[in-house]
Amino acid sequence: MQKNPYIPAPVKVEKIITEVETKDIKTFRLTFLNQEDKDAFAYLPGQFAELSIFGKGESPIGIASSPTDPDYVEFTVQKAGVVTTALHDFEEGALMGLRGPLGNSWPLEYLKGKDIVLVGGGFAFTTIRSLIKYMLDDRHRADFGKITAVYGARNPGLLLYRDELALWQERDDIDMHVTVDKGDENWTGLEGFVPTVCQDVAPSSDNAVTLICGPPIMIRFTLPVFFDLGFSKDNIYTSLEMRMKCGIGKCGRCNVGSKYVCLDGPVFSLAELDKLTPEY
Amino acid sequence: MEAKLIKKAALGEIVKKIAGQKPVYAPIKEGSKVHFKFLKKGESPFLDYANTVNAPKNLFFPQTETLMHYTKTARGSELVEESETNGEMVLFGVRPCDVRSFKLLDMVFDQKKYSDPYYVDKRERTTIIALACRQPPYSTCFCTSVGGHPAQADGADILISELDDDYLVEFLSPKGEKLVKLFGDLKAADDQALSRKKELSDEAVAAIKSHIPATEIKTWLDNNFEHPFWDSIHQGCLACGTCTYLCPTCHCFDIRDEAQGDDGIRLRAWDSCMYSIYSLETSGHNPRPGQKQRWRQRLMHKFKYFVDNYDAISCVGCGRCVMSCPVNTDIRKIVNDIAQLN
Repeated sequence: MQKNPYIPAPVKVEKIITEVETKDIKTFRLTFLNQEDKDAFAYLPGQFAELSIFGKGESPIGIASSPTDPDYVEFTVQKAGVVTTALHDFEEGALMGLRGPLGNSWPLEYLKGKDIVLVGGGFAFTTIRSLIKYMLDDRHRADFGKITAVYGARNPGLLLYRDELALWQERDDIDMHVTVDKGDENWTGLEGFVPTVCQDVAPSSDNAVTLICGPPIMIRFTLPVFFDLGFSKDNIYTSLEMRMKCGIGKCGRCNVGSKYVCLDGPVFSLAELDKLTPEY
Repeated sequence: MEAKLIKKAALGEIVKKIAGQKPVYAPIKEGSKVHFKFLKKGESPFLDYANTVNAPKNLFFPQTETLMHYTKTARGSELVEESETNGEMVLFGVRPCDVRSFKLLDMVFDQKKYSDPYYVDKRERTTIIALACRQPPYSTCFCTSVGGHPAQADGADILISELDDDYLVEFLSPKGEKLVKLFGDLKAADDQALSRKKELSDEAVAAIKSHIPATEIKTWLDNNFEHPFWDSIHQGCLACGTCTYLCPTCHCFDIRDEAQGDDGIRLRAWDSCMYSIYSLETSGHNPRPGQKQRWRQRLMHKFKYFVDNYDAISCVGCGRCVMSCPVNTDIRKIVNDIAQLN
């Protein structure tokens, strides 16, 4: 008998990290109460899950951790609606539910043997972080070529995962560029918008794939940069968000044309998106 | 397959007898309307009906359905173990168009990767008894345009066809054959009965006067997501959602939690692509911000997206949306108009 896909697995909020100065984005580290649920939650970077709080509802959120850290699952969540507000009010030790993993993932098989260029803006860096952790793991690093990453936020206080960013900047197996629109008195790093930094870094499109996540305005100005660098639409990927309920292709609302973001996505190549209706 | 004959007058009693043994969901007359309802003890179904106001999908996919119970404990909210549901049910008096709707809903709910246990469970333990249309019930019927047939019911377990003095009862599946003994004295159907059935069936097909080029518009839909035509069809729409609620194939739903004290339920309830909040995101962004986009979604889903995904049109031609729309929006006219644009 198949498992009921609507029933969330019980999880404990093991750790809560406030990521940004505005305090409205936190990372929640969840651990499974039951071993069989943990075993069943086999995921890849780019997938998402439904965070479930009884009495409030569910919210679909991208997985921010990597399966290479098997002891827990992390989600970085902005306080926005009913469920995420309740989640932000939680203290460590609280119990909640987790339903997933759902959706497809970053195209890991396709990425193997290629140079990888990652571009993230603002809060939309969570599943890219998952992929970076995955690729930098000793078991996987050799599968990929050169890894270049550009990550930007409006100001230093809005950068996620600052400790990790600092560590990645020191490594020689990833070329990590962190930028802010406007720095403060303590900021010594790059200043400038993500598209401009991408232009300056100018990664080669030769045998390379780029994965871009960010606000629509950033994506709009970043795409031409990558077209100019010679990236084809087959080699540019992004991840979509839509309102969702079931997460398993039945409740209807997250379709973009014939595709369901929850089932066929959230990850699509630009070539795939070109074939869909522009309704997202 | 066995084909038998029963006297017309006997059918009501037979259904009543079945209802004495297991729950029977059947047409019931309430005032001037006929609805599908569970038969109460001793109650007979209403047999002299055209079709029901509501589609029978409600039996497998209730308008509101509890998915799970939870309760607050010292550790937080926890799931309450559900008792197993079981027991056979009978769905009696389904018109062939509505029988077809189950095949289409199965494509959504009964998938290999994610099977919907709530729908599939009820579907599996239900025997479907279809009642062929001797005459198409309404002038709005267009089942033959969307792959249906007024007198054939692929997917039913038993098909009952009205002849002159008798009903022809065909047991189409092992599930249907299990009910044979409850039908009492059955006379084997002779060739005369079978050829009369064929005659009436042909007459029923010929009597359907409403035809739409449902498959022919696919190519236009493939290529015209942006087109001035979409600026017109939603103009009168009140966004009431009646069309989607009465539609036998609409399957969209919302999931919500309802709490009372320490206990609560997570439920699902029918939702409608006609509503503005259906696709509204927390950020305020709405991919389908106006009724124009919502109407395009509804039409595209039925005549293009569903075809792309399942190779079937998600419309059975029952005409309920046409009959009940408060502003007389007629999906047949829309499809016809699109065909003119081709």
